[in-house]
Amino acid sequence: MKQWWHGSYAPLPVVITLGILSAAYFGVLGTVWAVTGEFTRWGGHLLQLAGYPIEQLSYLKIIKMDVMPWQRVDGWVVFGMFFGALIAALSGGNWKLRVPIQKRRLVQGLIGGIIAGFGTRLSMGCNLAALFTGVPQFTLHAMLFTIGTIAGTWFGLKIALSSWFLGTPKIVAQKGSIVQAALQLKKSRQPWLALVVLVVFFIIVGTYFTKGLSALATAALFGLGFGWLIEKGQICFTSAFRDLWISGRSTIAKALIWGMGIQTLGTAWFIAHGTPAKVMWAGSGAILGGLLFGIGIVIAGGCETGWMYRAMEGQIHFWFVGIGNVIGATVLTLLWDKGIYQVLVAPWPKVDFVKLYGWPAAFFIVYGFLALLYVFIRYVEKRKSFTSLVKLPLGENILGKREENLTHG
Amino acid sequence: MDKIRVDYTLDLRGEPCPYPLIYSLEILAKMVAGQVLELIADCPQSFRSVPEEAVKQGYKLVAGPFKEGSVLRFYLQK
Repeated sequence: MKQWWHGSYAPLPVVITLGILSAAYFGVLGTVWAVTGEFTRWGGHLLQLAGYPIEQLSYLKIIKMDVMPWQRVDGWVVFGMFFGALIAALSGGNWKLRVPIQKRRLVQGLIGGIIAGFGTRLSMGCNLAALFTGVPQFTLHAMLFTIGTIAGTWFGLKIALSSWFLGTPKIVAQKGSIVQAALQLKKSRQPWLALVVLVVFFIIVGTYFTKGLSALATAALFGLGFGWLIEKGQICFTSAFRDLWISGRSTIAKALIWGMGIQTLGTAWFIAHGTPAKVMWAGSGAILGGLLFGIGIVIAGGCETGWMYRAMEGQIHFWFVGIGNVIGATVLTLLWDKGIYQVLVAPWPKVDFVKLYGWPAAFFIVYGFLALLYVFIRYVEKRKSFTSLVKLPLGENILGKREENLTHG
Repeated sequence: MDKIRVDYTLDLRGEPCPYPLIYSLEILAKMVAGQVLELIADCPQSFRSVPEEAVKQGYKLVAGPFKEGSVLRFYLQK
Protein backbone atom coordinates (compact mmCIF):
# COMPACT_ATOMS: atom_id res chain seq x y z
CA MET A 1 0.00 0.00 0.00
CA LYS A 2 0.92 3.64 -0.07
CA GLN A 3 3.46 5.66 1.86
CA TRP A 4 0.78 7.58 3.78
CA TRP A 5 -0.43 4.32 5.28
CA HIS A 6 2.88 2.48 5.89
CA GLY A 7 5.38 5.27 6.17
CA SER A 8 6.27 7.94 8.69
CA TYR A 9 5.68 11.67 8.21
CA ALA A 10 7.96 14.70 8.43
CA PRO A 11 7.32 16.57 11.70
CA LEU A 12 6.71 20.10 10.39
CA PRO A 13 3.63 19.42 8.22
CA VAL A 14 2.29 17.14 10.96
CA VAL A 15 2.56 19.79 13.67
CA ILE A 16 0.99 22.43 11.40
CA THR A 17 -1.90 20.03 10.71
CA LEU A 18 -2.21 19.42 14.47
CA GLY A 19 -2.41 23.19 14.96
CA ILE A 20 -5.22 23.53 12.43
CA LEU A 21 -7.08 20.52 13.87
CA SER A 22 -6.68 21.91 17.41
CA ALA A 23 -8.25 25.20 16.37
CA ALA A 24 -11.09 23.30 14.67
CA TYR A 25 -11.54 21.13 17.77
CA PHE A 26 -11.86 24.27 19.90
CA GLY A 27 -14.38 25.74 17.50
CA VAL A 28 -16.49 22.61 17.14
CA LEU A 29 -16.44 21.31 20.72
CA GLY A 30 -15.85 24.50 22.69
CA THR A 31 -12.94 23.05 24.64
CA VAL A 32 -9.24 22.71 23.98
CA TRP A 33 -7.47 19.51 22.95
CA ALA A 34 -6.22 18.27 26.32
CA VAL A 35 -5.53 14.98 28.05
CA THR A 36 -4.28 15.33 31.62
CA GLY A 37 -7.54 16.71 33.03
CA GLU A 38 -9.00 13.39 31.97
CA PHE A 39 -6.17 11.41 33.60
CA THR A 40 -6.88 13.36 36.81
CA ARG A 41 -10.52 12.32 36.65
CA TRP A 42 -9.43 8.69 36.24
CA GLY A 43 -7.47 9.12 39.46
CA GLY A 44 -10.62 10.55 41.03
CA HIS A 45 -12.67 7.53 39.92
CA LEU A 46 -10.04 5.24 41.46
CA LEU A 47 -10.13 7.17 44.74
CA GLN A 48 -13.89 6.82 44.70
CA LEU A 49 -13.61 3.06 44.12
CA ALA A 50 -11.24 2.88 47.07
CA GLY A 51 -13.92 4.54 49.19
CA TYR A 52 -12.39 8.03 49.43
CA PRO A 53 -14.96 10.83 49.82
CA ILE A 54 -14.08 12.68 46.62
CA GLU A 55 -16.90 15.24 47.09
CA GLN A 56 -14.46 16.97 49.46
CA LEU A 57 -11.87 17.54 46.75
CA SER A 58 -12.46 20.95 45.23
CA TYR A 59 -9.98 20.33 42.37
CA LEU A 60 -12.26 17.65 41.00
CA LYS A 61 -15.13 20.15 41.11
CA ILE A 62 -13.11 22.60 39.01
CA ILE A 63 -12.48 20.01 36.31
CA LYS A 64 -15.97 18.43 36.69
CA MET A 65 -16.33 14.68 36.87
CA ASP A 66 -20.04 13.96 37.25
CA VAL A 67 -20.12 11.35 34.48
CA MET A 68 -17.98 8.41 33.40
CA PRO A 69 -15.06 8.72 30.92
CA TRP A 70 -17.07 7.27 28.02
CA GLN A 71 -19.78 9.89 28.62
CA ARG A 72 -17.58 12.95 28.18
CA VAL A 73 -15.73 14.70 25.37
CA ASP A 74 -12.36 14.68 27.18
CA GLY A 75 -12.67 10.94 27.67
CA TRP A 76 -13.39 10.24 24.02
CA VAL A 77 -10.60 12.39 22.68
CA VAL A 78 -8.21 10.31 24.81
CA PHE A 79 -9.73 7.00 23.66
CA GLY A 80 -9.63 8.24 20.08
CA MET A 81 -5.94 9.11 20.47
CA PHE A 82 -5.17 5.63 21.78
CA PHE A 83 -6.98 4.14 18.79
CA GLY A 84 -5.28 6.50 16.34
CA ALA A 85 -1.78 5.85 17.70
CA LEU A 86 -2.37 2.09 17.78
CA ILE A 87 -3.62 2.06 14.19
CA ALA A 88 -0.66 4.21 13.09
CA ALA A 89 1.85 1.94 14.85
CA LEU A 90 0.30 -1.18 13.30
CA SER A 91 -0.02 0.29 9.82
CA GLY A 92 3.72 0.99 9.84
CA GLY A 93 4.57 -2.42 11.28
CA ASN A 94 5.97 -0.67 14.35
CA TRP A 95 4.07 -2.51 17.04
CA LYS A 96 6.25 -4.59 19.32
CA LEU A 97 6.17 -5.37 23.01
CA ARG A 98 9.39 -3.74 24.24
CA VAL A 99 10.64 -4.21 27.77
CA PRO A 100 13.67 -2.11 28.74
CA ILE A 101 16.85 -4.17 29.11
CA GLN A 102 17.79 -2.04 32.10
CA LYS A 103 15.00 -2.53 34.62
CA ARG A 104 15.77 0.75 36.38
CA ARG A 105 14.06 2.44 33.41
CA LEU A 106 10.66 1.29 34.67
CA VAL A 107 11.24 2.92 38.08
CA GLN A 108 12.53 5.97 36.26
CA GLY A 109 9.43 6.11 34.06
CA LEU A 110 7.16 5.89 37.08
CA ILE A 111 9.04 8.60 39.05
CA GLY A 112 9.22 10.93 36.05
CA GLY A 113 5.55 10.29 35.31
CA ILE A 114 4.55 11.18 38.87
CA ILE A 115 6.55 14.45 38.87
CA ALA A 116 5.17 15.42 35.45
CA GLY A 117 1.60 14.47 36.41
CA PHE A 118 1.78 16.57 39.55
CA GLY A 119 3.31 19.56 37.74
CA THR A 120 0.87 19.48 34.88
CA ARG A 121 -2.17 19.70 37.14
CA LEU A 122 -0.61 22.35 39.33
CA SER A 123 -0.57 24.54 36.24
CA MET A 124 -3.92 23.31 34.93
CA GLY A 125 -2.63 21.73 31.74
CA CYS A 126 0.16 19.77 30.12
CA ASN A 127 2.09 20.19 26.89
CA LEU A 128 -1.32 20.66 25.30
CA ALA A 129 -3.71 22.85 27.35
CA ALA A 130 -0.90 24.90 28.90
CA LEU A 131 1.41 24.95 25.89
CA PHE A 132 0.45 23.82 22.39
CA THR A 133 -3.28 24.50 22.67
CA GLY A 134 -2.82 26.92 25.61
CA VAL A 135 -0.70 29.70 24.12
CA PRO A 136 -3.20 30.18 21.24
CA GLN A 137 -5.87 30.96 23.88
CA PHE A 138 -4.22 34.36 24.57
CA THR A 139 -3.62 33.43 28.19
CA LEU A 140 -0.58 34.38 30.24
CA HIS A 141 -0.60 31.14 32.24
CA ALA A 142 0.36 29.09 29.16
CA MET A 143 3.33 31.36 28.49
CA LEU A 144 4.54 31.03 32.07
CA PHE A 145 4.11 27.27 31.88
CA THR A 146 6.06 27.14 28.59
CA ILE A 147 8.97 29.06 30.10
CA GLY A 148 8.88 26.83 33.19
CA THR A 149 8.85 23.70 31.02
CA ILE A 150 11.83 24.78 28.92
CA ALA A 151 13.85 25.50 32.07
CA GLY A 152 12.64 22.24 33.62
CA THR A 153 13.91 20.14 30.71
CA TRP A 154 17.41 21.54 31.33
CA PHE A 155 17.34 20.39 34.97
CA GLY A 156 15.64 17.15 33.96
CA LEU A 157 18.48 16.34 31.58
CA LYS A 158 21.04 16.85 34.37
CA ILE A 159 19.11 14.36 36.49
CA ALA A 160 18.60 11.89 33.63
CA LEU A 161 22.36 11.90 33.01
CA SER A 162 23.29 11.41 36.67
CA SER A 163 25.09 8.15 37.33
CA TRP A 164 22.13 6.15 38.63
CA PHE A 165 19.81 7.02 35.74
CA LEU A 166 22.49 6.91 33.06
CA GLY A 167 22.87 3.14 33.06
CA THR A 168 25.30 1.14 30.93
CA PRO A 169 25.10 0.88 27.17
CA LYS A 170 25.18 -2.55 25.62
CA ILE A 171 28.17 -2.36 23.31
CA VAL A 172 30.14 -5.17 21.72
CA ALA A 173 33.51 -4.89 19.95
CA GLN A 174 33.24 -6.56 16.56
CA LYS A 175 36.90 -6.25 15.56
CA GLY A 176 36.10 -5.52 11.97
CA SER A 177 33.74 -8.37 11.23
CA ILE A 178 31.71 -8.10 8.07
CA VAL A 179 27.94 -7.86 8.16
CA GLN A 180 25.29 -7.85 5.51
CA ALA A 181 23.75 -4.40 5.49
CA ALA A 182 20.19 -5.09 4.44
CA LEU A 183 18.24 -8.23 5.11
CA GLN A 184 15.28 -9.50 3.13
CA LEU A 185 12.25 -9.85 5.34
CA LYS A 186 8.80 -11.21 4.95
CA LYS A 187 6.05 -8.64 4.98
CA SER A 188 4.45 -7.70 8.27
CA ARG A 189 0.82 -8.65 8.86
CA GLN A 190 0.35 -5.73 11.24
CA PRO A 191 -1.15 -3.35 8.62
CA TRP A 192 -4.07 -5.75 8.23
CA LEU A 193 -4.63 -5.70 11.97
CA ALA A 194 -4.60 -1.90 11.73
CA LEU A 195 -7.54 -2.12 9.32
CA VAL A 196 -9.43 -4.38 11.72
CA VAL A 197 -8.91 -1.95 14.62
CA LEU A 198 -9.99 0.93 12.37
CA VAL A 199 -13.22 -0.89 11.48
CA VAL A 200 -13.94 -1.57 15.18
CA PHE A 201 -13.35 2.12 15.91
CA PHE A 202 -15.72 3.24 13.16
CA ILE A 203 -18.41 0.86 14.41
CA ILE A 204 -18.16 2.44 17.89
CA VAL A 205 -18.19 5.98 16.51
CA GLY A 206 -21.04 5.15 14.14
CA THR A 207 -23.08 3.77 17.04
CA TYR A 208 -22.51 6.96 19.03
CA PHE A 209 -23.61 9.10 16.08
CA THR A 210 -26.79 7.10 15.54
CA LYS A 211 -27.60 7.38 19.25
CA GLY A 212 -27.37 11.15 18.94
CA LEU A 213 -24.15 11.42 20.93
CA SER A 214 -22.50 13.37 18.18
CA ALA A 215 -20.24 15.50 20.41
CA LEU A 216 -18.63 12.35 21.85
CA ALA A 217 -18.31 10.76 18.42
CA THR A 218 -16.79 13.97 17.01
CA ALA A 219 -14.28 14.10 19.88
CA ALA A 220 -13.36 10.49 19.17
CA LEU A 221 -12.78 11.27 15.48
CA PHE A 222 -10.56 14.23 16.34
CA GLY A 223 -8.75 11.99 18.83
CA LEU A 224 -8.17 9.43 16.08
CA GLY A 225 -6.58 12.13 13.93
CA PHE A 226 -4.43 13.47 16.77
CA GLY A 227 -3.22 10.00 17.79
CA TRP A 228 -2.54 8.97 14.20
CA LEU A 229 -0.55 12.14 13.51
CA ILE A 230 1.60 12.15 16.66
CA GLU A 231 2.65 8.54 16.03
CA LYS A 232 3.28 8.96 12.31
CA GLY A 233 5.22 12.18 12.85
CA GLN A 234 6.81 10.97 16.12
CA ILE A 235 5.82 14.27 17.70
CA CYS A 236 7.64 14.19 21.00
CA PHE A 237 7.22 17.48 22.90
CA THR A 238 9.82 16.32 25.41
CA SER A 239 12.48 16.01 22.72
CA ALA A 240 11.56 19.47 21.41
CA PHE A 241 13.38 21.17 24.28
CA ARG A 242 15.54 18.39 25.75
CA ASP A 243 17.39 17.73 22.49
CA LEU A 244 18.21 21.42 22.25
CA TRP A 245 20.33 20.98 25.38
CA ILE A 246 21.93 17.76 24.08
CA SER A 247 23.01 18.64 20.57
CA GLY A 248 21.13 21.77 19.54
CA ARG A 249 18.46 19.74 17.71
CA SER A 250 15.59 22.10 17.00
CA THR A 251 13.38 20.30 14.46
CA ILE A 252 10.38 19.69 16.72
CA ALA A 253 10.71 22.91 18.76
CA LYS A 254 10.49 25.05 15.61
CA ALA A 255 7.64 22.95 14.26
CA LEU A 256 5.71 23.55 17.49
CA ILE A 257 6.05 27.31 17.06
CA TRP A 258 4.67 27.14 13.53
CA GLY A 259 1.85 24.92 14.76
CA MET A 260 0.95 27.39 17.50
CA GLY A 261 1.29 30.39 15.21
CA ILE A 262 -1.20 29.00 12.69
CA GLN A 263 -3.50 27.66 15.39
CA THR A 264 -3.71 31.13 16.97
CA LEU A 265 -5.42 32.51 13.84
CA GLY A 266 -8.06 29.80 14.14
CA THR A 267 -8.67 30.15 17.87
CA ALA A 268 -8.87 33.93 17.50
CA TRP A 269 -11.63 33.56 14.93
CA PHE A 270 -13.64 31.27 17.21
CA ILE A 271 -13.08 33.41 20.33
CA ALA A 272 -14.18 36.49 18.38
CA HIS A 273 -17.33 34.59 17.37
CA GLY A 274 -18.28 33.76 20.94
CA THR A 275 -16.43 30.61 22.06
CA PRO A 276 -15.03 31.45 25.51
CA ALA A 277 -11.24 31.20 25.78
CA LYS A 278 -9.72 28.78 28.30
CA VAL A 279 -7.83 31.01 30.68
CA MET A 280 -6.24 29.87 33.95
CA TRP A 281 -4.40 31.38 36.92
CA ALA A 282 -1.14 32.96 35.80
CA GLY A 283 1.32 32.88 38.66
CA SER A 284 3.77 30.84 40.64
CA GLY A 285 1.68 27.67 40.23
CA ALA A 286 1.97 27.87 36.45
CA ILE A 287 5.74 28.46 36.52
CA LEU A 288 6.47 25.88 39.21
CA GLY A 289 4.12 23.41 37.52
CA GLY A 290 5.94 23.93 34.22
CA LEU A 291 9.30 23.48 35.90
CA LEU A 292 8.22 20.20 37.55
CA PHE A 293 6.61 19.09 34.30
CA GLY A 294 9.83 19.77 32.35
CA ILE A 295 11.92 17.87 34.88
CA GLY A 296 9.45 14.98 35.02
CA ILE A 297 9.06 14.49 31.27
CA VAL A 298 12.82 14.32 30.67
CA ILE A 299 13.30 11.78 33.49
CA ALA A 300 10.34 9.79 32.15
CA GLY A 301 11.45 10.06 28.53
CA GLY A 302 8.13 11.38 27.32
CA CYS A 303 5.31 13.78 28.13
CA GLU A 304 1.60 13.12 28.25
CA THR A 305 1.05 12.80 24.50
CA GLY A 306 4.47 11.17 24.12
CA TRP A 307 3.75 8.30 26.48
CA MET A 308 0.33 7.79 24.90
CA TYR A 309 1.59 7.02 21.41
CA ARG A 310 4.61 5.09 22.62
CA ALA A 311 2.49 2.97 24.94
CA MET A 312 0.41 2.11 21.88
CA GLU A 313 3.60 1.05 20.03
CA GLY A 314 4.04 -1.57 22.75
CA GLN A 315 6.74 0.22 24.76
CA ILE A 316 6.19 -1.08 28.30
CA HIS A 317 8.33 1.70 29.75
CA PHE A 318 5.67 4.22 28.77
CA TRP A 319 2.84 2.30 30.41
CA PHE A 320 4.69 3.02 33.65
CA VAL A 321 4.96 6.69 32.71
CA GLY A 322 1.20 6.78 32.16
CA ILE A 323 0.49 5.16 35.52
CA GLY A 324 2.90 7.67 37.08
CA ASN A 325 0.96 10.55 35.48
CA VAL A 326 -2.32 9.40 36.99
CA ILE A 327 -0.67 8.96 40.41
CA GLY A 328 1.01 12.40 40.26
CA ALA A 329 -2.21 14.12 39.20
CA THR A 330 -4.12 12.34 41.98
CA VAL A 331 -1.59 13.43 44.61
CA LEU A 332 -2.11 17.01 43.42
CA THR A 333 -5.89 16.77 43.78
CA LEU A 334 -5.42 15.47 47.33
CA LEU A 335 -3.04 18.29 48.28
CA TRP A 336 -4.90 21.06 46.43
CA ASP A 337 -7.07 21.99 49.43
CA LYS A 338 -4.20 21.52 51.86
CA GLY A 339 -2.41 24.73 50.98
CA ILE A 340 -1.45 24.45 47.31
CA TYR A 341 -4.44 26.41 46.09
CA GLN A 342 -4.08 29.04 48.84
CA VAL A 343 -0.36 29.61 48.34
CA LEU A 344 0.42 28.93 44.69
CA VAL A 345 -2.80 29.54 42.79
CA ALA A 346 -5.39 31.76 44.50
CA PRO A 347 -3.24 34.91 44.82
CA TRP A 348 -2.85 35.11 41.05
CA PRO A 349 -5.27 36.44 38.45
CA LYS A 350 -6.47 34.73 35.31
CA VAL A 351 -4.89 36.92 32.64
CA ASP A 352 -6.85 37.00 29.39
CA PHE A 353 -4.99 39.28 26.97
CA VAL A 354 -7.98 39.77 24.71
CA LYS A 355 -10.30 40.94 27.49
CA LEU A 356 -7.57 42.98 29.12
CA TYR A 357 -5.96 44.78 26.19
CA GLY A 358 -8.11 44.09 23.12
CA TRP A 359 -7.33 42.17 19.94
CA PRO A 360 -4.37 44.06 18.41
CA ALA A 361 -2.38 43.99 21.64
CA ALA A 362 -3.34 40.36 22.30
CA PHE A 363 -2.06 39.35 18.85
CA PHE A 364 1.09 41.37 19.40
CA ILE A 365 1.74 39.64 22.74
CA VAL A 366 1.15 36.07 21.50
CA TYR A 367 3.12 36.46 18.26
CA GLY A 368 5.80 38.43 20.10
CA PHE A 369 6.10 35.55 22.56
CA LEU A 370 6.34 32.99 19.75
CA ALA A 371 8.92 35.11 17.92
CA LEU A 372 11.06 35.42 21.07
CA LEU A 373 10.81 31.68 21.57
CA TYR A 374 11.95 31.15 17.98
CA VAL A 375 14.91 33.48 18.40
CA PHE A 376 15.86 31.71 21.63
CA ILE A 377 15.73 28.30 19.93
CA ARG A 378 17.83 29.56 17.01
CA TYR A 379 20.35 30.97 19.49
CA VAL A 380 20.74 27.70 21.40
CA GLU A 381 20.81 25.71 18.16
CA LYS A 382 23.64 27.79 16.69
CA ARG A 383 25.66 27.83 19.87
CA LYS A 384 25.27 24.23 20.85
CA SER A 385 26.99 21.34 19.15
CA PHE A 386 27.43 18.05 20.90
CA THR A 387 30.16 17.91 23.49
CA SER A 388 30.59 14.97 25.81
CA LEU A 389 28.09 15.29 28.66
CA VAL A 390 28.85 12.20 30.70
CA LYS A 391 31.41 9.51 31.32
CA LEU A 392 29.81 6.27 30.22
CA PRO A 393 30.48 3.30 32.50
CA LEU A 394 31.84 0.98 29.82
CA GLY A 395 33.69 -1.46 32.07
CA GLU A 396 37.05 -2.14 30.44
CA ASN A 397 37.75 0.67 28.10
CA ILE A 398 36.97 -0.88 24.75
CA LEU A 399 36.82 2.34 22.84
CA GLY A 400 39.51 4.59 21.45
CA LYS A 401 41.82 1.85 20.23
CA ARG A 402 42.28 0.70 16.69
CA GLU A 403 41.30 -2.95 16.67
CA GLU A 404 43.17 -4.63 13.86
CA ASN A 405 41.89 -8.00 12.87
CA LEU A 406 42.93 -8.23 9.28
CA THR A 407 41.91 -11.85 8.82
CA HIS A 408 38.44 -10.47 8.24
CA GLY A 409 39.79 -8.28 5.49
CA MET B 1 23.56 -5.54 -1.14
CA ASP B 2 26.53 -3.92 0.56
CA LYS B 3 28.76 -5.70 3.01
CA ILE B 4 30.04 -3.55 5.83
CA ARG B 5 33.07 -3.87 8.09
CA VAL B 6 31.94 -3.15 11.63
CA ASP B 7 34.05 -2.21 14.65
CA TYR B 8 31.40 -1.94 17.36
CA THR B 9 27.76 -2.84 17.77
CA LEU B 10 25.58 -0.72 20.05
CA ASP B 11 22.32 -2.39 20.95
CA LEU B 12 19.76 0.24 21.95
CA ARG B 13 16.69 -1.97 21.98
CA GLY B 14 14.30 -1.16 24.78
CA GLU B 15 16.09 2.08 25.67
CA PRO B 16 13.82 5.14 25.95
CA CYS B 17 14.90 8.65 24.91
CA PRO B 18 17.28 10.39 25.43
CA TYR B 19 19.61 7.42 25.99
CA PRO B 20 19.82 6.22 22.36
CA LEU B 21 21.03 9.66 21.28
CA ILE B 22 23.33 10.16 24.29
CA TYR B 23 24.88 6.68 24.09
CA SER B 24 25.44 6.95 20.33
CA LEU B 25 27.03 10.39 20.36
CA GLU B 26 29.20 9.63 23.41
CA ILE B 27 30.48 6.42 21.90
CA LEU B 28 31.12 7.92 18.46
CA ALA B 29 33.09 10.70 20.13
CA LYS B 30 35.43 8.14 21.66
CA MET B 31 35.97 6.02 18.55
CA VAL B 32 38.97 6.27 16.23
CA ALA B 33 38.48 8.00 12.88
CA GLY B 34 37.46 5.53 10.19
CA GLN B 35 35.82 3.06 12.56
CA VAL B 36 32.23 1.98 11.97
CA LEU B 37 29.50 1.72 14.61
CA GLU B 38 26.52 -0.54 14.04
CA LEU B 39 23.38 0.67 15.81
CA ILE B 40 20.35 -1.47 16.53
CA ALA B 41 17.30 0.32 17.88
CA ASP B 42 13.60 -0.35 18.22
CA CYS B 43 12.25 3.06 19.13
CA PRO B 44 10.83 4.85 16.05
CA GLN B 45 11.98 8.14 17.53
CA SER B 46 15.66 7.07 17.48
CA PHE B 47 15.16 5.99 13.87
CA ARG B 48 14.92 9.66 13.01
CA SER B 49 16.87 11.62 15.63
CA VAL B 50 20.02 9.48 15.96
CA PRO B 51 21.13 9.37 12.30
CA GLU B 52 20.12 13.03 11.77
CA GLU B 53 22.06 14.28 14.77
CA ALA B 54 25.10 12.07 14.11
CA VAL B 55 25.33 13.38 10.55
CA LYS B 56 24.95 16.94 11.85
CA GLN B 57 27.89 16.32 14.19
CA GLY B 58 30.03 15.30 11.21
CA TYR B 59 29.78 11.51 11.21
CA LYS B 60 28.98 9.63 8.04
CA LEU B 61 25.90 7.48 7.64
CA VAL B 62 27.45 4.66 5.58
CA ALA B 63 24.38 2.45 5.38
CA GLY B 64 20.77 2.39 6.46
CA PRO B 65 18.62 3.03 8.30
CA PHE B 66 17.20 -0.40 7.52
CA LYS B 67 13.84 -1.28 8.96
CA GLU B 68 13.41 -4.96 9.77
CA GLY B 69 9.97 -5.32 11.27
CA SER B 70 10.00 -2.95 14.21
CA VAL B 71 13.80 -3.10 14.56
CA LEU B 72 15.99 -0.46 13.00
CA ARG B 73 19.62 -0.82 12.01
CA PHE B 74 22.09 1.72 10.72
CA TYR B 75 25.83 2.24 10.32
CA LEU B 76 27.78 5.34 11.25
CA GLN B 77 31.43 6.00 10.47
CA LYS B 78 33.61 8.37 12.41
